[in-house]
Amino acid sequence: MAITSKIHGAGLGLKRELIPQIQSAYGQEQLSNISFLEIAPENWINVGGKYAKQLDWFVERYPIVCHGLCLSLGGLSPLNVDFLRQVKTFLHQYSIPVYTEHLSYCTDGFKGEQGYLYDLLPIPFTEEAVHYVAQRIRQTQDILGQHIGVENASAYVASPVSELSELDFINAVISEADCLLHLDINNIYVNSVNFGFDPHQFLRGIPGERIIYSHMAGHYQQTPSLLVDTHGENVIDPVWALLEDAYQLFGTFPTLLERDNNIPPLNVLMHEINKIADYQNKAKDNITREPSFKAVCQSAVAIG
Amino acid sequence: MTAELPSFQRYQLAFTARLRDTKNAPPLAGVPHERMAVYEEIVFNNLFESVSACFPIASKVIGKRKWLKLNQAFMRDYSAHSPLFRKIPEQFLQYLNKPSAELQQLMPDYLNSLCHYEWVELLVSGIEEANPQGLQPDGDLATDKPVFSATMQLLNYDYAVHKITPRKKPQHKTSTQLLVYRYADDMVKFIELNAVTYRLISLLLNEAITGKQALTLLAKELQHPQPESIIEFGLSILEDLRSQGVIIGTH
Repeated sequence: MAITSKIHGAGLGLKRELIPQIQSAYGQEQLSNISFLEIAPENWINVGGKYAKQLDWFVERYPIVCHGLCLSLGGLSPLNVDFLRQVKTFLHQYSIPVYTEHLSYCTDGFKGEQGYLYDLLPIPFTEEAVHYVAQRIRQTQDILGQHIGVENASAYVASPVSELSELDFINAVISEADCLLHLDINNIYVNSVNFGFDPHQFLRGIPGERIIYSHMAGHYQQTPSLLVDTHGENVIDPVWALLEDAYQLFGTFPTLLERDNNIPPLNVLMHEINKIADYQNKAKDNITREPSFKAVCQSAVAIG
Repeated sequence: MTAELPSFQRYQLAFTARLRDTKNAPPLAGVPHERMAVYEEIVFNNLFESVSACFPIASKVIGKRKWLKLNQAFMRDYSAHSPLFRKIPEQFLQYLNKPSAELQQLMPDYLNSLCHYEWVELLVSGIEEANPQGLQPDGDLATDKPVFSATMQLLNYDYAVHKITPRKKPQHKTSTQLLVYRYADDMVKFIELNAVTYRLISLLLNEAITGKQALTLLAKELQHPQPESIIEFGLSILEDLRSQGVIIGTH
């Protein structure tokens, strides 16, 4: 059985470009702070050849979490149940304990098909959308037989039909779906600039006891009031301050660095992973985590 | 019909319609243009990069402007059905196979074959291995049934797709047979076949027959005066394919 408690400390999103570097430096002191890795099932389901060998290599050596991109929890087409079954098989096959997705959508049901657009689009924050998305999360959890985490998504457009704040929307969905929160620290910051709110205040409104793990990343500043979530830059200080604040508020939780574009050499990326580990160690000296976290995590365990 | 949808979904439909067709779909009421432009750019660029990465030659051969137009039409008209990113190029191929009249004008006759040829490398690099039951790696290719690598693709094109470059576009049709497979070192290999070898492999793939039976059939098809020489020569070709890892043994 897969155990979520294998997931702890600092992690790194596994990009193809990084694979040879991690493999050649594996076991060395410089990588010691990488405690887990994250992959997108959409990139690894049913692969063969060298990709299958790479996957086997990493699964043998690191705890792995799955972070999906195309489930389209808020999408206009029916939930892709065939795909979800593939995800379930994949999680089982590689003993991957955690699966998270985005509070967003990437399908429009065009011409009666799924209509994948392969990007994360913003769900309008309405009451009806809360019920719609929560029902689809429940359906997902029923099929998988485990809790999933949902990530607060970055956005650039505020929908004029929204009735709720982002925070109220997230809370309502998570509570109605009874799922976990995959907290993206950078996304809070990006949205706070794009939509003008206080990110630290936002942090105080999230259901901290449901955090399964968190993301850190850099973004691109297109204008002073428009940030784009590129994962292509270094993490900036205000985002580090938010992470520190979150550890203070909720105790430490596993935290993973996402770097998808403009990827520097691994030894440079390690600075940010080491920094996550430092923040975690510093926070641990002061605070022990609320026990409710463990209770929530244990309930995420039941695969098979 | 859309009037029956909840307001959030009507908005989502208008939103994605705009992403699919930024030129013709109406802008969204109450949404600042420069904010919407972020989505219009990232969604298209993502798709464009995923497609273009698979077709480095085709994209250059038809030129930047036409390639962009093809991709814009793909974004606008095609309803993608696979959540797997590596299936995007395959879906683009499916789209090219049923082009609109407008699109057809942009496409030279050889484009579909060239795109298919470029995509096969992606396909073969990721095919899952098969471990056939009861395989005899050193079995007799003459008296047993040869088993081919699960990654092998036997291809027949009307153009010499493997020779096309931006500077060397095909002037006429050339019947071309290729074999593509993945070697033990995971590298994708291409072999150009002659028509007879192509026919031999087709026979072995499609009929439950031994190497010698296939070659006897082939000699008949060719009306060859000395079938023994065809069999002898053919078996040496099959042995050669085994040494290259195309044939992995016998049943």
